[in-house]
Amino acid sequence: MTTPDKAPASPRVPVTLRVNGSDHHLLVEPRHTLLDTLREDLRLTGTKKVCDMGNCGACTVHQDGHSVYSCLTLAVEANGSEVRTVEGLADAGELDPVQEAFIRADAFQCGFCTPGQLMSLRALLDARPDPTDEEIAKAVTGNLCRCGAYHNIMKAGRLAAEIQAERRATGNGPTAGMEAAE
Amino acid sequence: MTATMDISLDEDGKLQLEEHEGVGAWPKDRRFTSVGQGAHRLEGLEKVTGKAQYTYDVRLPGQLEARVLRSPHPHARILSIDTSAAEALPGVHAVLHHGNTEPIEWYNGSFVFDPTLRMVGDEVAAVAADSGDIAEDAIRLIRVEYEVLPHVTYFEDALRPDAPHVREGGNLTDEPTVYDRGDADAALQRAHVVVDRKFTTQCAIHNSLEPHGSTASWDGDDLTLWSSTQSVFTIREQVAEALGTSEHRVRVIKHHMGGGFGAKQVAWKNDVIAPLLAKRTGRPVQLMLDREAESLAAGNRPATWQHVRFGADRDGKLVAVWADIHIDAGAYQVGGEASNVSGMYQSLYKCDNVHTEARNIYTNTGPAVAFRAPGHVEAAWAIEQTMDELARKLGLDPVEFRRRNYSEVDQLEGKPYSLPEGLSLSYDKVTEAFGWNTEGRERGAGSKRRGLGFAAHDWIAGSGSPPAYAWAKLNPDGGLDIITGTQDIGTGTRTGLGQIGAEELGIDLADVSVQLGDTALGPYSPVSSGSSTLASIGPAVRGAVNDVREQLLRLAATKMEVAADRLTIADGRISVADGGGESLSIAEVMADVAPANLMGKGVRGPNPDDVAIRTFGAQCVEVEVDTDTGEVTVLRVATAHDIGRIVNPTLVDSQIWGGITQGVGFALHEERVVDDRLGRILNANLEEYHVPTIVDIPEMTHAHVGVPDTRANITGAKGVGEPPLIPTAPAIANAIYDAVGIRVENAPISRQRMLTLLREQTTTTNGNGVTA
Amino acid sequence: MRPFAYERPETIDQALSMLSADGDATRPLAGGTDLLTLIKGEIVEPDLLVDIKRLDGLSDRIEPGPDGTRIGALVTLTQLETDPHIMQTYGALAQAAGKAATPQLRNMATIGGNVLQRPRCWYYRESEIPCWLKGGDTCPARDGQNAYHAIFDESPCVAVHPSDSAAALIALGATVHLRGSDGDRSLPLAELMSPPTEDRRRETTLRPGELITGYTLPPTYGKSVYLKAMDRKAWAFALVGVAAHVTVANGAISDVRLVLGGVANVPRRATAAENLLRGKSPSDDLFRQAAEVALEGATPLKHNAYKIDLTRALIQRALSQATA
Repeated sequence: MTTPDKAPASPRVPVTLRVNGSDHHLLVEPRHTLLDTLREDLRLTGTKKVCDMGNCGACTVHQDGHSVYSCLTLAVEANGSEVRTVEGLADAGELDPVQEAFIRADAFQCGFCTPGQLMSLRALLDARPDPTDEEIAKAVTGNLCRCGAYHNIMKAGRLAAEIQAERRATGNGPTAGMEAAE
Repeated sequence: MTATMDISLDEDGKLQLEEHEGVGAWPKDRRFTSVGQGAHRLEGLEKVTGKAQYTYDVRLPGQLEARVLRSPHPHARILSIDTSAAEALPGVHAVLHHGNTEPIEWYNGSFVFDPTLRMVGDEVAAVAADSGDIAEDAIRLIRVEYEVLPHVTYFEDALRPDAPHVREGGNLTDEPTVYDRGDADAALQRAHVVVDRKFTTQCAIHNSLEPHGSTASWDGDDLTLWSSTQSVFTIREQVAEALGTSEHRVRVIKHHMGGGFGAKQVAWKNDVIAPLLAKRTGRPVQLMLDREAESLAAGNRPATWQHVRFGADRDGKLVAVWADIHIDAGAYQVGGEASNVSGMYQSLYKCDNVHTEARNIYTNTGPAVAFRAPGHVEAAWAIEQTMDELARKLGLDPVEFRRRNYSEVDQLEGKPYSLPEGLSLSYDKVTEAFGWNTEGRERGAGSKRRGLGFAAHDWIAGSGSPPAYAWAKLNPDGGLDIITGTQDIGTGTRTGLGQIGAEELGIDLADVSVQLGDTALGPYSPVSSGSSTLASIGPAVRGAVNDVREQLLRLAATKMEVAADRLTIADGRISVADGGGESLSIAEVMADVAPANLMGKGVRGPNPDDVAIRTFGAQCVEVEVDTDTGEVTVLRVATAHDIGRIVNPTLVDSQIWGGITQGVGFALHEERVVDDRLGRILNANLEEYHVPTIVDIPEMTHAHVGVPDTRANITGAKGVGEPPLIPTAPAIANAIYDAVGIRVENAPISRQRMLTLLREQTTTTNGNGVTA
Repeated sequence: MRPFAYERPETIDQALSMLSADGDATRPLAGGTDLLTLIKGEIVEPDLLVDIKRLDGLSDRIEPGPDGTRIGALVTLTQLETDPHIMQTYGALAQAAGKAATPQLRNMATIGGNVLQRPRCWYYRESEIPCWLKGGDTCPARDGQNAYHAIFDESPCVAVHPSDSAAALIALGATVHLRGSDGDRSLPLAELMSPPTEDRRRETTLRPGELITGYTLPPTYGKSVYLKAMDRKAWAFALVGVAAHVTVANGAISDVRLVLGGVANVPRRATAAENLLRGKSPSDDLFRQAAEVALEGATPLKHNAYKIDLTRALIQRALSQATA
C-alpha cells in the first residue's frame, strides 16, 4: 500500500522515438507512459486517454508494427521504436482506407474512441487485407465505444478492406473521391 | 417575412413566448434536396484524423495540470489538513482546499470544498502543477485527518429508523411525489387478473469515454473555459454565479465532446476548481477527471426499487396501474433533467385508475444524474415486464394486449397527442420488420433455448422547446454560415442543422458551415438533453435561413425585375418559378452587396398548446439462453420510433444502434458494485464495469415510422437520442421469459443472476423448464 | 505512478544480478500489462524496473523438438494464439491465449509474466483496502462482494488466479524453467503455482530474484480444449475457465488432465475427476459424474454459488469436445 513520503521524481533519461516517420529525442522520467509522451511532450492529442489502465483501447498505437496500448507502455521501453499514431495514417492529405471507411460508414458518434479503433483496424488490414467479419470484430474487441457505434464499425471494417483492395488494384491512387480536401 | 418572437412573463410569472409570422411547416409535397439525405458528418474528417479538439486536448502556453484529492471515506469531517509538503514540492503552483478558499456554495447546501464529506470521491483538495505526474506526487503528500462518521450505502437501508443521516433532516430528499387518477386500489380489487411484483434496476455509470473536465484560462477578469459539457450556456451561468463574476466575463467553449449521455448537462466542480486554480496561479489550468473519479463522483443512473401492481379485466383492458417507487439519489441532488420514474406509469397505456408514489433517498454514494432517458429506462423495466405477464395471464399476444390499451390522448392533461397514431404505427412497423410471430417461433434445441420479447415506450422531451436562437450569414460567394449556441455532443447536430439550413435556402450542404459550442460566438441555445436538440434548434435555423432567403429574393427581384414571390432557389440558383428560363446564381445576386453579407435571425417558436408532443416506439427482441451456462445472447433486435421527419437517416440509425447497444449492456452486465461496509465502489473502472464490446451486439433493424410530426414544430422532426434505449432491457427480459419461463425481476441479467434463477427453477419444477 | 528508475540490461545474468539486489523493490518488466496496472494502482511500489524484453538469453521463440515444445518466456499471447504448431498440437493453449484480454494486450503480454499475474480481486486492487493478501489481517471479500471469487477455500485469501493460459499449460503438463542467481531449476508449473500462505502471500513459489525463462510442453497424442465463461462475450477475466486434455486409445480414456480456472487461488487440477475418467470410455454420463467429483469440496461464498453450475457445465462440454 502507500508510503507517501517516498522521494518524488527520478532522473530523466534520454529516449529516441520515431513517431509517424519523424525522430524525436526526448528526456523523460521512466514512469512517463508512451501515451503521456505523445499527448504532452509531442502534442499529438489524437491518441486519447480514457482509462489509463489498459481497459478501453482509446490509446491504441502501433509500436514496431504491432497494436499496443500506449497507456501500459513506458516511453523508455519504447526507446528506439517506430511508433505510428492516428496522425500518421493519412498520407500527404489522402486518407487511409480505414479513415475513409469510417466517414462513409458513419462509424463514430462522439469520436473519442475512433483513433484507437482506426489503429486496430489498420493493424488488421496490414496483416489480413481480406478479413472475415469475425476477424474484423476480433480486431476491435479491445476498443470500447460507449456511443455504441460497433454496428457501423463492422461496416467500416468491410468497407476499408474494399477501398484498400481497390486502391491497390489501381496503383495506390485515390479512388472514391473522398472529401479529404474539403 | 421573418420569424420573430417576444418573450414576456404572464401574471403567474410564467415565461410566455409569442411567435410572429413564423415560417410554416414544409408542405407535404415538397421535393427535399438536403433534408432526408444520409449526409456524412461535417466533422468526420477532423475526427478520423485525430485533429478534432476535445476539452482534454486543449494545450495552451504555460498550461498546468490539476489533480484532485478525494475522500476515501463515505462520510467524514475534515479535522485538519496539511498541505505544506505538497506546496513545497518543485513544480507545484497551487493547492486549494476548504481552509484556503472562499466557500462557494454548490449542490444542495454543500460547498465546492466542504469540510464535511458525504461520499467516497468527494473533493478534499486540488493541486495545479507543471505536469500530471507532479500533481499526483503532491496529492500523495497532503496529510488529512478525518473524523469518520457513520454512513449508509444502500438506499434499501437508508429509510430505516436507525440509518445514519446523509445530511440533517433525514434521508428523504423531499416529500414523496404522489399522483392519483381514479382509484387504483379499488380497481385492483375488481380486476380479473392482477400482477403484483417487485422489480429493481441497478445503478449504472455513464462512462463517457472523455471524462468530465475543464481547461480554464484567465485574461484579466475574462475567463475562457473549455468544458466537456452538454450545455455551454448552463455552464456559463453557473460558473459566473459561483465565481461571483458576470456572465459576459465568462466564455464557455466545447468544440467536440467524448460522450455525455446526460451526465454533462450541469456544471460540475471541475468547472469551478479549474478557474480557481488558474486564477491562483496566473496560468491556464486543465482539470480532467480520471476514470475512477468519473465513476465515483460524476453522476450515475440511480438504482430503483419498484413495487408494481397492475390489474386488467377479462377483455384485456387495463383497469389499474399502481406503483410504489424508491430511487437512490446518492449524496447530492445535482440538478439537470429529473429522473422521472413515475411518468411512464401515468402515460403510456390507457388506464383510468393510476396511483404512483415516488421517494428519492439520500445515501453516501455518488450522486444520481440524468442518464439517457432518465427514469424511463428504469420504469420500462418494470412496466413492460408487468404488461408482458398480464398479457400471458390473459392469453393475449403482448402486442395485441397493448393495442387494447391504447391512448390517443395525454391522460395527464387531457390533450390529444400531436401524432395520435405514433405508437400504433410503431407497433405495425416493428412487428412487420421483425416478423413477430409468437406461434411459429424458433424454440431452440438442447440447452440453447430461444424466445421473443416485446416492449414499448414513450418519451416526453423529444419535441424540443423554446427559447432557442440561430443566426445565418449568407456570404457574397453564396456560402452560408449557420451560428448557434448549441453544441454537438456526438449526435450529429452540426450535420442535421446544416442540412436544414441547406434545405431552407436551396443550396448544397457542402456550401454550409455550422458554428456552435461557444457562448461568445453564438446566440443562446438550451442544453443538449432530452433528445431535444434538433427539434429545438432546427426551427430556429430554418427561421434564420428563411430570413436571409427573403432578403436575397428581394435583391434578386430588383435585379431580375420580377416580383420576389415568383422566385425560387434550387441548387444555388435563383430562378423564376413559372418559367422564363432566366436564373442567377446566389453569388451573382450577392455581388451587389459584397463584401457585406446578409444576416438572418431565427427563433424557436412555442410548442402548440392544444396537443401533447411525445415520442413513442416499440422493440422486438430475440434471445438465446444457454440453460447450462446461463449465457444470454441477444440475437436480433428490431425497433421503430415515432420520431417525426428523419433529417438524416444515417445519423438516426447511428443513434438507434447506439441506444440499443447501451440497452444490451444495461440489461445484461452493467452494474456499479459497492461494498456497504466500506461505502466504496469496487468497480470504478472499465475492467469490472462491463460496457458492451463489439461482439456483444445483436443484429439490428430500424423500421422507419416515417411520418413527419408537423404539429410538433416546423421541421416535423423529433429527437431520437434516448428512445431506442428505453425498451431494450425489458424486451430482452420478456424474451428470456419466453425462452425459459423465468421472470427476471432484478437487473442486470448477469451470469450470476441467470444461473441462480435457473437453479431455483430446476429445484422448484423438477427441471421441466417452465414454471406455472 | 510513483517515480522509479529503469534499466535495460544486455544479458540475463546482468538482469539477475539487478533483480536479486533487494527483493520487491526491483521488478522485472516484460509485457508490463499487469505490473504497470499494479504500480498505477499503488499496489506495488518498485524503485527500479529491469526491462527484460530484449535480453540476450531470454527467448521469444516457440521451438518444437522430439522431447516436446519449448516456449520462451518472452513469447507473446498473440504468438501462442496464432502459431500453427501450438494451434494444432496444444489446442487448449492457443484457445486460452486467444480468449485472454484483447489483441493489443496479447501483443504485449508474455507467457512468462502471464502466470505471474496478481489477482484481479477488487479488494486487492484497491490500495486503500488493507486486505490479507497485501499484508492485512483479514480478507474483506469473504463476507463482501464475492461473485467473482473462489469456490474452493485454499487459503485465507479468496481471490482467483486471472490467467487463462496457466490452466491450459498445466493441463498440457507444462514444465516451467527458472533461472536465479543460484542457477537454473525446472519443475512442473502446477508446483510453481500454489495458494498463498501466511508467510508467502503470493500465488507462486518463485524465489526472490528468479526469472521464468520458458516452458516445455511434453509431446502429446491427445486433444485439448479450453473453455471460458465471461460476464460479457469478450474482454473479461474468466468467471470459470476449464482446460481439458484427453487421450483416447482403443475407445477408452488413457490419459486425462482436467484443470479448473476461476475457482481457486491458482488453477486447480481436478485429480479425483481425472482418476474417475481414466480407463473408461467417453460418455455424457461419465462426464457428468466427473464434473460432480471435480466439484466435491467446493464451498461457495454468498454470491458465487452460480460458479458450481457453471463449472459443471463447462467441464462436461470441455470433456465432450476433447473426446469428440
